[in-house]
Amino acid sequence: MDLKKLLNENEFVFLDGGMGTMLQAAGLEAGENPDLLSITHPELIESINLKYIEAGADIFYCNTFGANRLKLAKTGKTPAEIISAAVKIANGAKAKASRTAYCALDIGPIGQLLEPNGTMLFDEAYDIFKEMVLAADGADIIVIETMTDLLEAKAALLAAKENSDLPVMVTMTFEENMRTFTGCCIESMAMTIGGLGADAIGINCSLGPRELRPAVEKLCSCTDLPVIIKPNAGLPDPLTNEYNVLPDEFGELLADMIPLGIKIAGGCCGTTPDYIRAARKAFEGRKYQPKEFKPISAVCTASNAVYIDVPRIIGERINPTGKKRFKQALQEHDLDYICNQAIEQIDAGAEILDVNVGLPGIDEKEMMLAAVRAVQGICDTPLQLDSSIPEVLDAALRVYNGKPIINSVNGEEKSLNNILPLVKKYGAAVVGLCLDEDGIPKTIEGRVAIAEKICKRADALGIPRHDICIDCLTLTCSAEQEAAMQTIEALRICKEKLGVRTVLGVSNISFGLPQREIVNRTFLTMALTKGLDLPIMNPNIASMTSAVRAYRLLANIDKNAQEYVANYGGEIPAAAAAAVKQEDMTLGYAMSHGLKNDAAGITAKLLETTDAMDIVNNILIPELDRTGAEFEKGKIFLPQLILTAGVAQSCFEVIKEHLAKNGGGGVSKGTIVICTVKGDVHDIGKNIVKVLLENYGYTVIDLGKDVDPMLVVKTAKEHNVKLVGLSALMTTTLKGMEETIRLLRENHECKVMVGGAVLTPDYAKEIGADYYAKDAKQSCDIAKEVFGQ
Amino acid sequence: MIDYKINIDEAVRYMGYRGFTPGEQEKALILSCEKQLREYIEPAWVYRAFPTEQTDEGILLKGTTLTLTGEDIRSHLEGCGRCVLLCATAGAKADELIRLKEKEDLVQGYITDCLASAAVEGVCDSLEAELSKRLADKYLTWRFSPGYGDLPLDLQPKILAVLEAGKRAGVSCTGSLLMIPRKTVTAVIGISDTPIVRKKQGCAACSMKDRCTFRKAGEHCGS
Repeated sequence: MDLKKLLNENEFVFLDGGMGTMLQAAGLEAGENPDLLSITHPELIESINLKYIEAGADIFYCNTFGANRLKLAKTGKTPAEIISAAVKIANGAKAKASRTAYCALDIGPIGQLLEPNGTMLFDEAYDIFKEMVLAADGADIIVIETMTDLLEAKAALLAAKENSDLPVMVTMTFEENMRTFTGCCIESMAMTIGGLGADAIGINCSLGPRELRPAVEKLCSCTDLPVIIKPNAGLPDPLTNEYNVLPDEFGELLADMIPLGIKIAGGCCGTTPDYIRAARKAFEGRKYQPKEFKPISAVCTASNAVYIDVPRIIGERINPTGKKRFKQALQEHDLDYICNQAIEQIDAGAEILDVNVGLPGIDEKEMMLAAVRAVQGICDTPLQLDSSIPEVLDAALRVYNGKPIINSVNGEEKSLNNILPLVKKYGAAVVGLCLDEDGIPKTIEGRVAIAEKICKRADALGIPRHDICIDCLTLTCSAEQEAAMQTIEALRICKEKLGVRTVLGVSNISFGLPQREIVNRTFLTMALTKGLDLPIMNPNIASMTSAVRAYRLLANIDKNAQEYVANYGGEIPAAAAAAVKQEDMTLGYAMSHGLKNDAAGITAKLLETTDAMDIVNNILIPELDRTGAEFEKGKIFLPQLILTAGVAQSCFEVIKEHLAKNGGGGVSKGTIVICTVKGDVHDIGKNIVKVLLENYGYTVIDLGKDVDPMLVVKTAKEHNVKLVGLSALMTTTLKGMEETIRLLRENHECKVMVGGAVLTPDYAKEIGADYYAKDAKQSCDIAKEVFGQ
Repeated sequence: MIDYKINIDEAVRYMGYRGFTPGEQEKALILSCEKQLREYIEPAWVYRAFPTEQTDEGILLKGTTLTLTGEDIRSHLEGCGRCVLLCATAGAKADELIRLKEKEDLVQGYITDCLASAAVEGVCDSLEAELSKRLADKYLTWRFSPGYGDLPLDLQPKILAVLEAGKRAGVSCTGSLLMIPRKTVTAVIGISDTPIVRKKQGCAACSMKDRCTFRKAGEHCGS
């Protein structure tokens, strides 16, 4: 069908009302699978389809909301069977109807959440939706609805776009706080789903038309796509499940939203053909009032939209270039290290994070995916995906939840041809570097010319100018002193002439000079006054971040100096509970008092005079032993044990950094693989074990949670590991533990220790484990026994 | 929004203090974690009342495909012609905070995790109070959840389906019956016209009695 034509020819387009509501009225029991009825009671489904068409629906939804392979798993039916039956019924209804209507393949949520909230992987979700899309032969349009997870909606939309030519509408479910249950905000939904090429977007379910009005208003201001509204019949009584808005009132409330800019309207839970009829009546004679939409440059994650209407700091630290410790982390697949780099930069003021994990000898695509998933699992700061390999970018763009920046495209033909289509397809923003086959132009005009070329090529693909961020490139001032002003001038011209955003890596300017911070900071300020939007910099250097904040204050962006005062106006908090003066403090004292920063500082100081291993063996380990013994005696409790272990961890991080810098590797007492078993996502206990084991000098390969048994086996073999630790917190996931042990026994000679709330020594023995660890402390004792040290 | 309490003493018990009181430093840490957690908790819930019917398999919730099986729920709902099926969650953002805290500072992650467990119980308490008010002339049993006694955990997906907890409260269930968001509770509350003899809730009736963390430490969970 031609949705655009339908939208052009009609002032408003109407959708149907609730399917479940009609089925329940016909006797469907709560909890029963409604999708099966297309096979068992086709006449019932057809009569409902027909009623909605006759009531005035231009587009009605086939009975396929939950027809995915997971929800159908126990029914013995496949999605293809159910969907083709439902589509056939819909077409039958169309043929019988007295007016024209179109039928939509209706795709609802899978019913299980994607990572990081749940355990499902993006590719699996995509596959489930793809199967539905491929079965939709005969449908006129695809509707993705009732989504709460932006990433799931994205998986469905990509599956629709990549496997079908039908138009696609996407609606998500927002609560009174204007967010979905998973925290997705309206701006993020609009820019992500819009950017991915949906034909119309909107809001359905959750609340009634009255409660949804603010969300609709917001959405209409965030998009130039046709906006859909399909609310419930008010709110249900929690006890009886009866809805409180009647048809006429429902129609009026919908019509009241015309001035907000809605174009497509229908009903969800609790609504019936009467509601659709009433809506049509209420809309009669009214005109569509499209809202003026001013596109703003922005990027986002599901829950956080960052508008680039003021200078925003891009943190540059997730990048191995010139960082031995970071390289080591990549080689060891140490995602915790990368996450901590993210947290540190965000705390320091980063608003977007560049992610570059390219390093010779590692699988960059796999690492990039792991890094994006890990960082998105713990923070809502938008990312700048940084790689020179299109396949790496493509993979990362698929799984990224939100709208990212791609770093980067340049004026070379190959780059333009490879990167810009990705920008368009995934609706991302992109960094455009002012260089091409001939290198970086010496002149201002040369750089502007490349920027123009990039813009023209982007125009041709329909990439909006506000999604292009031009980088006029910072050259080293000590080598080419005249270049600094040229870069800044080129930046000014690009911004004014091309209507793009500008980005610059600033730290390079001072390479080879003393007191680099002075030069960096001044260059940054100079560039900001000429229109730099996105400095890529190290936010952990306080003077750099404060320069941006001061600029925002002086440029009258930071109204009433709120941000500035919030960051710099407060008293510097006194160090907590430090009864001992800092210079007198021992490492042992800092550890037992949970003073992380002090402990790290003391360790750094000690390293100037003391051998690293002496610090470990003579101070850290004895202190950990003492704490462990007290824990065993019941003198201290788990939080205190973790507290000390956490402080020790920060000391070890300082030592690791020191060893990486000075070329010496640490001495490992042995390698242990640990994980939370398949099906289980409780990993806090496992993480506590990990920290303690690491404190005691073991190398821990942490496979994370919900880990496939074969991965455990593979890793154990690959690293020839003598000890494997498995954790499970639920009775239902003990099966996964048993299976993992069985596979280990078949494939690799090693000891297995198990732990977790539901385990007992007897049960551990029963499932074939060698050791039962009742707590984290005991797992260290077991490791000592296995490795003999 | 619903008003709810986080019972700190309860959370402290989850943390493994075995009846001891945390020291000043830990107490401060716990309170600061609680403060932050409150900003992240977004309670969501759904409940519905159903008439019940005794069948050979168990207690059927009329108008649904759900039968509550096992002897313990039969005895729990004794004398109740109706029951409330309830699902409440602390929300996805609480999970998010716990994930972040774990990376940032393990002990804060652990404390926040325990506090969030107490928080979802607090939400349930508030809902129960709301129910008592609405059903002022009725008598309610305490909350009985899948996994207690012999009420099987694998009823979880069915309970969520009956309540439409996915779209009503954003709750789903993994293949291994783990509810997402993690801090989520489902429960059955019996409604009776006559006073209920509150049965002692002890360990003997509990299916977890052999592997319960509290019992391992010589304690009980208090339910």
